[in-house]
Amino acid sequence: MNITKAGYHGILLPNLNIGFDYNGTDTQHTFISHAHADHMPRNRTSSVYCTSNTLKLMQRRGYKGDATVLDFGESIETEKAKVTLYPAGHILGSAMVYVESDDGSVLYTGDYRTPPSPASEGFSIPEQVDHFITEATFGLPIYKWDSHENLGQEIRSFASNSLRDGYTPVFLAYNLGKAQEVMHLLAPLKQKVQVHGAGYKMCDVYEEAGIDLGNYETYDRNTCEGKILITTNSALNNGFASNVRKKRIAYCSGWATREAARNQLTVHKLIPLSDHLDFFELIRLCEELRLQKVHITHTPNADVVQHYLDKRHIESRFLDMEMEEDD
Amino acid sequence: MAENSFQQLAETAQRINETRSTNAKIVCCAQYFQSLEEDDLNLAAQFLGEGAFSSISGKRTTVGSRTYSTCAAEFCEINYEKVFKPCKTALGSASEAIEKLMQNIEAARNKREPTQLTLQDIKSIYKDIYSVSSRADKQQILWNTWKQMTPVEIKFFIRIMTRGSLRIGFETKSVVSALAKAFSKNIEEVRYAHMITGSVGKTAVLCKNNNLDKATFKLFHPLSFMLASPIESRAVENLDGYVAEEKFDGMRAQAHISGQQVELYSRDLNDITHSFPEIVQFFIKKDLPDLVLDGEICVYKNDEILPFQLLQKRMGRKKPGNKIIEKYPVLFISYDLLYHVNQPIFEKELWERRNLLSDLSQLYELPITNQFEVEGNDHVDELFERALAHGNEGLMLKKIDSTYEYGQRKKSWLKVKKPGGTLDTVMMYAHAGSGKRGGYYSDFTLGIRVAEDERYEEEFIPIGKAYGGYTDEEMKRLNERIKDLTVEKYGPTLGLIPEIVIELEFDDIQKNKRTKANYSLRLPRFKAIRWDLSPKDADTLKDVEQLYQKKIDKERLKQEENPSFYIEQKDQETNTE
Repeated sequence: MNITKAGYHGILLPNLNIGFDYNGTDTQHTFISHAHADHMPRNRTSSVYCTSNTLKLMQRRGYKGDATVLDFGESIETEKAKVTLYPAGHILGSAMVYVESDDGSVLYTGDYRTPPSPASEGFSIPEQVDHFITEATFGLPIYKWDSHENLGQEIRSFASNSLRDGYTPVFLAYNLGKAQEVMHLLAPLKQKVQVHGAGYKMCDVYEEAGIDLGNYETYDRNTCEGKILITTNSALNNGFASNVRKKRIAYCSGWATREAARNQLTVHKLIPLSDHLDFFELIRLCEELRLQKVHITHTPNADVVQHYLDKRHIESRFLDMEMEEDD
Repeated sequence: MAENSFQQLAETAQRINETRSTNAKIVCCAQYFQSLEEDDLNLAAQFLGEGAFSSISGKRTTVGSRTYSTCAAEFCEINYEKVFKPCKTALGSASEAIEKLMQNIEAARNKREPTQLTLQDIKSIYKDIYSVSSRADKQQILWNTWKQMTPVEIKFFIRIMTRGSLRIGFETKSVVSALAKAFSKNIEEVRYAHMITGSVGKTAVLCKNNNLDKATFKLFHPLSFMLASPIESRAVENLDGYVAEEKFDGMRAQAHISGQQVELYSRDLNDITHSFPEIVQFFIKKDLPDLVLDGEICVYKNDEILPFQLLQKRMGRKKPGNKIIEKYPVLFISYDLLYHVNQPIFEKELWERRNLLSDLSQLYELPITNQFEVEGNDHVDELFERALAHGNEGLMLKKIDSTYEYGQRKKSWLKVKKPGGTLDTVMMYAHAGSGKRGGYYSDFTLGIRVAEDERYEEEFIPIGKAYGGYTDEEMKRLNERIKDLTVEKYGPTLGLIPEIVIELEFDDIQKNKRTKANYSLRLPRFKAIRWDLSPKDADTLKDVEQLYQKKIDKERLKQEENPSFYIEQKDQETNTE
């Protein structure tokens, strides 16, 4: 099976004329895993396959091209392959792309999480995979996530304790996916939440999908004090709620594992809530799947993952970027 | 959980770390101090404020990062090179990596069974580590200790042991504030007791027992040094009340002398007596009264003060051999007197202390710095040039009516220095800033060219890390450019295509075998961003080697006329030997 990387993102199966999260228009069948900017097509003339939630979210973020919507589990036949989407558990709409062909089967994971984000359609994986193209964003054994139950508890306590002490709690969370996940985990508190505009415009897609986001509204500088706020770090640095003096800030991200983040972002609390799977889940999954080969991407630590896979006699390679001549 | 357990201390340290405001941190620490009995309080304050041993003991554990890191890797059953090192790089901290791995990895969890070690247990463990010397013995003790600890205990056990910062935003100064808070004492009195005793642990006990007034200066307990500010940093318009001394390129030291007992302490209050036996002999032979001298240890040969690089060959040696003593003979040049006729005199003004020091120099033939009247700024320039000609670093300007402000860096002492040199370097890595510089890449690893150097395979190798000397505008522009040059990302660090050339200014070059270049720079900082230069123009390792050699070989003005120091002659007014 020929698998190549196209630029910084994007992966191609040239023999099957299939692309994953690919930005070009020269491939006949391009599948988009989810609506995060580094996976989304930026080309107006693109024509892609994705889930309906991914399409809605992409359109909220300015996607103007065409798309064919596929449900999870629903297959389409191309001239050389059969392609099926599986829920990836990363954010709403996120899909893993399963390709079956005469050369064997490929699973392109995009970004994924198991156990899945509670604000997603869940996670499921085909039983038979020959070539596993996996991200390894958190490819080091220092990364191991706590359960969503505990993380949710931590998030709710942080919010209630801050409010009790007369502080406005602020959660730093990426505006698509993490923001809604935090809102969903906060929902049982039934407190008023204000979300930064860029995250707010995604929320109705989540609600239509049946995910409870609690009692929320869009951020308003004049009324935000004393409510639970959700925003990004860059917005916070650019005046978000700068009129509220008594704030407590929590950073929700897998990168919050690192103590250094506390001072780099000037936050009070680090909550390692990630929308990627942790290192141990990654290795366990590779073991369980009985694969032919693991193709590792999106990581500075492919060597470490490969070292662990070698010890388990699982063949792997780092799917490195192929630079174009004049790049 | 018992108050006197190490777990309790580790959790307190962690809570302090997770608290942002300084006041809240102090309250948190004060509450902990209140819960402790005397002996445990002594240890807890010392562990949080000083390290595994009290500063005045002069002891320190010598467990290198490689020793505890390889031990931890083995404990976790992971490969040190292939797994541990990338983890350490990602977190920027070996001890934090160890904490996380001890928590996450099953093999490590299975070995550990926390037993609630007490603070006293930890004290004796540090003592055990101090008493063994081989790496294997040290690792055996670490292994047995970690078996009985939680991950957060292990992290702080290592940080206290290595006596670096605990990295919880809470330095010795804050521990002193927490003591004042815990026992409702006047902060100035606690600070004074700390300065005098030189020990946070002892200060803590004095606070608890309402004995702060019993804090007295004692011989063989080093006093924190008075420090100088760079003249540029202080707006001193009038130099009238100042006198000048040449600033030696040596090692600052405090000598405590009582009859046959002589001890020397370094600026970080470590006992360095054993490295300089000839100084000890020198003082013993003089049959001096009880004294504490502040001064500088310099290599001195054939009427020349030799560069710091040669003194380095004497530093850190427990027992120097005769050969090395002969090759690099050292001299203690005094410039201040802190204890005299059985009492501390650091509350006296400089001119009084100086008079007493001169008398001693005359009576016992002690070398003391030459002091010059300052007659305006032009005269400062002249004195400065002469100091450089003597091979010294620059000038010290001291306020004649100032007391000895131990442990402080104010404008009573000013230093006038000239940069050691500049190098054109290439930016190799950018590191995320923190605090005010959060959100920007503000620290940079800079490299020199080794492309044509057969000793290396790389094109560039690091020579230093700089985080200052540029304006906010320049930093923003650098950050823009960095975006396009990034090829790798390791957590907070970006690997860059070598493109940006920085003219780097530094105080000095030193040999340092632990770096790839075998040299390191003292106080590297930006002088200019050279948008006009390309990486091909960068200086090479050979240039660095030449600069170093030039410093060593520099011609030095002999100590004949207007010497940097002298011995006061009996019944003579002149300032020459």
